[in-house]
Amino acid sequence: MTEATDLAARAGDRDPRVGLRAVTALRRLVEQLEAVQVRSARQQGWSWQEIAAELGVSRQAVHKKHGRQ
Amino acid sequence: MFERFTRGARDVVTGAVEQSERAGADAIDDGHLLLALLDREGTRASFALAALGADRRREDITRALAEARRRGGLTQAETEALAGLGIDVEQIVSRVEEAHGAGALAGVGARRERKGIGAWIGHRGFTRDAKDILERALRIATARRDRSIGDEHILLALTTRPGVAGEVLADHGVTRMTVERVLYQP
Repeated sequence: MTEATDLAARAGDRDPRVGLRAVTALRRLVEQLEAVQVRSARQQGWSWQEIAAELGVSRQAVHKKHGRQ
Repeated sequence: MFERFTRGARDVVTGAVEQSERAGADAIDDGHLLLALLDREGTRASFALAALGADRRREDITRALAEARRRGGLTQAETEALAGLGIDVEQIVSRVEEAHGAGALAGVGARRERKGIGAWIGHRGFTRDAKDILERALRIATARRDRSIGDEHILLALTTRPGVAGEVLADHGVTRMTVERVLYQP
């Protein structure tokens, strides 16, 4: 974990590589969390329309992205 | 492209499908390709992995892959980068698992490819990552002027692509440089 601490310390030194990697990782994490939440909503009987409204996107967009689950 | 795969390389692909099925995953990813590679015997890749001592650390490798899968496929480097932003991935994973069950973040949201390799292998899809690995293997073989694509090219492709499998391999001393050294230097 010392490496993590090093990186945490380096986040302050404005190394673009660390910052960009963090952004990419965050995006991936958000995608995974969205998939978990959408699946859970569907299991609880939510319609695509309701899920789309919460996510602030169109029903078509959310269905296209998660429809196979 | 697939007609140029050697028997060994095809075995890795079908082995990856089996790994994915056994794990109950949505799709076949680069981790499944790596596990399938570790199963091979008497091939160029198995020779390289044995020469680098990775065959004896199979359990370690399997555990590291499982850990990354639990984190939603984030590499250790990505997890550390997020820690730099004050985001504790482990804590997020734990909370999600509390609400949605163990392994909730594993194998969700992986985009499946239904063309090309996905169509070749049947109804099970390959993730974009896994498909990219196989395409890289083809390019590596072509660049070396090897006529067919062997499992060693798949191994080399895994070491050159940023991602969970490549990171886990590097942690166990398997990099493009070390693989090329044991395979191609007399």
